[in-house]
Amino acid sequence: MKTKRKKLSFRTMWKVHGLIFASPFLIGFVAFFLLPLIQTFYYSFNNVGVGDQGGMTFEWVGIQNYINLFTTEVTTTNTTMARLFTEENSTMLLSLPLIVIFSLFMALLANQKFKGRAIVRLMFFLPIILGVDVVMDMLTITTGGTTLDTGSNLLAGSYVTIFLVRTLNVPMRVLYPIMTYVENIFDLISQAGVQTLVYLTALQSISPSLYEVAKMEGATAYETFWKVTIPSIMNITFFVVIYTIVDLFLKSSIAEEAYAFAFTQGKIGVGSALSIVYVGNVILVLAVAALLLRKVVKKNEK
Amino acid sequence: MKNKTKYSNMDASLAIYLFKNKFKQGAVRFFTLVLILGLCFTIVYPIVSLVPVVLSTVDDLGNPNVIWIPQEFSTVSFKAAARLVMPQGFMTMVKSVLYAAGIMVLQVFFSAMVGYSLARVKFWGRGLVFGMVILVFLLPRQSLLLAQYISFVHFDVLGIMNLFTAAGEINLINNPIVLVLLAVFGFGVNQSLFIFLFSQFFKNIPKELEEASLIDGCGFYRTYFRIMLPNAVPIISTVGILSFVWNYSDTYYTNYFNPNGNYMSTLLSSTFISANKDYILNALRTWYDAPVVTDLAFDAVKQAGALIFLIPLLIVYLIGQRKLVENMENSGLVG
Repeated sequence: MKTKRKKLSFRTMWKVHGLIFASPFLIGFVAFFLLPLIQTFYYSFNNVGVGDQGGMTFEWVGIQNYINLFTTEVTTTNTTMARLFTEENSTMLLSLPLIVIFSLFMALLANQKFKGRAIVRLMFFLPIILGVDVVMDMLTITTGGTTLDTGSNLLAGSYVTIFLVRTLNVPMRVLYPIMTYVENIFDLISQAGVQTLVYLTALQSISPSLYEVAKMEGATAYETFWKVTIPSIMNITFFVVIYTIVDLFLKSSIAEEAYAFAFTQGKIGVGSALSIVYVGNVILVLAVAALLLRKVVKKNEK
Repeated sequence: MKNKTKYSNMDASLAIYLFKNKFKQGAVRFFTLVLILGLCFTIVYPIVSLVPVVLSTVDDLGNPNVIWIPQEFSTVSFKAAARLVMPQGFMTMVKSVLYAAGIMVLQVFFSAMVGYSLARVKFWGRGLVFGMVILVFLLPRQSLLLAQYISFVHFDVLGIMNLFTAAGEINLINNPIVLVLLAVFGFGVNQSLFIFLFSQFFKNIPKELEEASLIDGCGFYRTYFRIMLPNAVPIISTVGILSFVWNYSDTYYTNYFNPNGNYMSTLLSSTFISANKDYILNALRTWYDAPVVTDLAFDAVKQAGALIFLIPLLIVYLIGQRKLVENMENSGLVG
């Protein structure tokens, strides 16, 4: 044994140690990711039942589960699957740019130099803990009583709104969408905690000499922002966008639906089909986002 | 004479220019300040506006005369919430905190190992493993819930379980060991993100450190535990804080894999569902002798529960926030 070990070169041993270090993840990958993925795929083409001996029985039905999923099955709230997916995707795509831009905006503000910056930062990153699902659910969802006062009705009843409507004759049709966004601002902020943190880090890592050069060349603050700041944080924007998409998908209600199919209604096959469709959906959105962003990033790197 | 007017003209225009500049700067500063204050307000207001609700007596809720200062202060909402979400009293919170801390330690320890290996050791198939980490991060965990759940119900590793039980499998659902297993093998809450962060950090540690320790006669493990880990304190604390916050407030893993575990997060989300409203209102009536309780009382108790839940998180956040911002700078995520 010992002689054999000596024969292995130092480099090889190093690699072996590295592999040992990575092995927990590899085992986990096979046990908790790869096998479940394959099994989910397999279940989705089968009618899965419980056998007499307690094991599981499989009956091959082809893509029948998928067809059922979109034609006959409904969610726990009695909507069709197609509708569920459209809703989830559209809310996600709407809030994605808002969250990304908003977190950049907050990071830009937190990066300014002013008195009391420490306290402001303390508040700006509160969403990291306030935004977790449990707390948000507890704070916002109420039963018939007052909903949580997020300051949202302040705008609707404010003098600004009255002024806009009465004096400037701004039609409610234009004002209303803006008001809904402003009213949901707490929702938005609560999801932007980690992203703000990442952006702030990125902003602080931009070399000050770049700003000095821009100033020497006579660039205005506006130009500096677009020519120096934005290109420097383009790479990190890629990360932030992907992170936001993943985070938004994590909040989706698909898990509950799949769980309800499988263990309340006993249709493991349909639940698995739902999971597979969901995976496809996520991959599609991520791929489109990555392709689009890569173009923008490359353009800015030149 | 001519010269003089020219100079005074220039003085005047200079003064105007300077004044304009100063005014502009002042305006910009003012607007930034307003924006910052506004954002701080938006973030803190929802929490602050809870204070009068949870501190007033149950009968007094919905009183239109009360905006900020309740007529009578009482802690009934808090007491009721504590009684509902903390069945074992204060120990429930301690247990939840200890659980989150334990999982945090496991997550940090194992993610750091994998991250280090991915960043510093060119083992076979490293690119592939890195791709796996990214893939796990990208695919939402819900999509694999069913198969994972079933595999835990019929838990059996390569038929080893035949040796221990007659059925050849054991049911691990409702056994906290599932959560430990997930954390050890890199599949806890957001753990692929942690592995990614660690590997980005270790990539930026100078190679000389490693070489020096090798020349001094340290092996692989000693280099890692004596040199690399102590140098990774910033990223360890960043990941630690995030991991603690996410594990403490996690309802996904705890709810599906250990539903009877009595974690505060799951208790909170399962107690205060609208179906339980009547039960809670009745409890309020009998416990605190309050005949007039409305739906508002339910909300008040619920929000008091959320505030109690937030206490450990706030403490961790207040201690760690500064470090979080500083440390992200050296996390190697950027650049």
